[in-house]
Amino acid sequence: MYLIQHSILNSANHYPDNEAFRYNDKALTYKELVEQSHQLAHLLISLGVQRGDRVGVYLNRCLETAVAVYGILSAGAVFVPLDPYAPPSRNQFVIQDCGIEHLISNKNQEKNLKNTLTENLNVKSIISPFGADSISPFGGGWGVDFATFCANLNTRTFTQKNLQKSLSTKPQICILEEDLAYIMYTSGTTGTPKGIMHTHRSGLAYAKLSADLYNVQSTDRLGNHAALHFDISTMGYFTMPYVGGTTVIVSDIHTKLPASMVQLIEKERLTIWYSVPLALIQLLQSGIEERDLTALRWVLYGGEPFPAKHLRTLMEQLPNAIFSNVYGPAEVNQCTYYNLPKPPKDDETIPLGKVWGNTEILIFDENNNPAKVGETGELLVRSATQMKGYWDRRDLTEKNLYKREKITGCEEVFYRTGDLVRICEQGDLHFLGRKDRQVKIRGYRIELDEIEATLTTHEAVDSAAIFAIKNDDEAYINAVVVLKKDLETSDLKLYLSEYLPAYAVPSNIKFIDAIPRTTAGKVNYKILKTS
Amino acid sequence: MTDIIIQYIKKEILNDPDTTLTAQDDLLGSGLVDSMGFVRIIAFLEEEYDITIPPTDMVIEHFMNIEAMSNYVAKLKG
Repeated sequence: MYLIQHSILNSANHYPDNEAFRYNDKALTYKELVEQSHQLAHLLISLGVQRGDRVGVYLNRCLETAVAVYGILSAGAVFVPLDPYAPPSRNQFVIQDCGIEHLISNKNQEKNLKNTLTENLNVKSIISPFGADSISPFGGGWGVDFATFCANLNTRTFTQKNLQKSLSTKPQICILEEDLAYIMYTSGTTGTPKGIMHTHRSGLAYAKLSADLYNVQSTDRLGNHAALHFDISTMGYFTMPYVGGTTVIVSDIHTKLPASMVQLIEKERLTIWYSVPLALIQLLQSGIEERDLTALRWVLYGGEPFPAKHLRTLMEQLPNAIFSNVYGPAEVNQCTYYNLPKPPKDDETIPLGKVWGNTEILIFDENNNPAKVGETGELLVRSATQMKGYWDRRDLTEKNLYKREKITGCEEVFYRTGDLVRICEQGDLHFLGRKDRQVKIRGYRIELDEIEATLTTHEAVDSAAIFAIKNDDEAYINAVVVLKKDLETSDLKLYLSEYLPAYAVPSNIKFIDAIPRTTAGKVNYKILKTS
Repeated sequence: MTDIIIQYIKKEILNDPDTTLTAQDDLLGSGLVDSMGFVRIIAFLEEEYDITIPPTDMVIEHFMNIEAMSNYVAKLKG
């Protein structure tokens, strides 16, 4: 096994009738997933898709995502998740940035696609993997209006009918473990997102390491809360197929209605849950005490710290489950874990914990010297799960790497996380903050400089400063703006929402006469945060 | 009540007063309304109809579409 798609082939051999993915009351067994992925792969190959070509997955949480991921990989291509909830301009940027010519989507997204696709984007085809009579509740056939819209753009549309005519045998392609498998886009400091490139090797290394660490079995059932564009989803899309287990895709509607979500955990007898802390905190007031969640043996959380008081309450509600704090930037997926021995007593932050397998870390002070035990420094990571680099950003990739040659001819390449940590005497890592201006809002990474850069592109804005303030364990983004001409704050929020995801739009915008600056002329964020 | 909720969602959430939206349209599953939008709809219902929606009532049956929301709010108002 050296490619991500080998997982489903192997699991289809051992457990052909195990359900690989479930969504509401529909499911795909491993046998069905392999067949449908191969059909999609053959269709993509017939459209001219070659090894390394980027194919977009424009879907919300649904069963088609599984066929899309494994179909694209089986064709030797690279899957790029797009977020249908993101502003059209952001998806347009991604499509252009990595040259996506083919999209996997469904009828459900017609409205969003109409707002996104233009002639300049040069999208040649859009494929809906499931047909009208199939397991998709919305039907896979495209509407007449939409088909016309696409025809005008010279974009071809395909449905399940086209797929069924394709072969379901394994496509013969030459592809190696070091070849690209997927690209996930995240916030960039210059005002546009950057694509994190992962290979089959890094994806499969994550699947192996996480399966070992959490002893994941073919009988396990994972609740996949994260959307495909969020790297937390790699456990559901890679690890479970690797062991032959079942990934239950939590629907968009369930993620918004916690009382239904807790019913789903009970009904599906989930054994593993992995999400951002917020999703778990929401469960607390949703009748969790009336549900039988005793099947849950692991609760994994990541993306941001879990406030101790909520974590304590939740752990007391779920005494059978082991809680694990998962840490790692998307560039290395995961690199540490901390399994909580008991509910936290005080309100201290939970440690990041210990480094997992196939991974080496360094903690460097400002002069690239190793920090001593107890001293604060930047965390550097070298791992089998490490990214290949940022798409088409060699400069940025290099800037974020540290290379050393301990043995002649054997270069060791570390990723500089930008996270400040210290290691305690017990050997656990503790998170202390960021070296730069990256923040996490509901688990999403945001570069405050990206918001600043976007805000200053508005014609009425002279200058702007963005800063985050913590209030009751949650971070809020604030903006102060100096105007050139009169404007309402709502106009600016609307403007930002055209370019940035909803979570990156500041909650508060204040107009001021001048941005406070330090004597060196830099924005004085300290004053802004305290005033 | 259905019309009032439809108008609110079209104007305030979708920012598109001319769009077509029916009481039976799948709001949350279709990608039309995101999490923040949904939070605003809840706040609107609570204020407009002077009700408090307990977290345990936040289930699909009550919010899958505008028709379900109207029925739920009517029931809550008794």
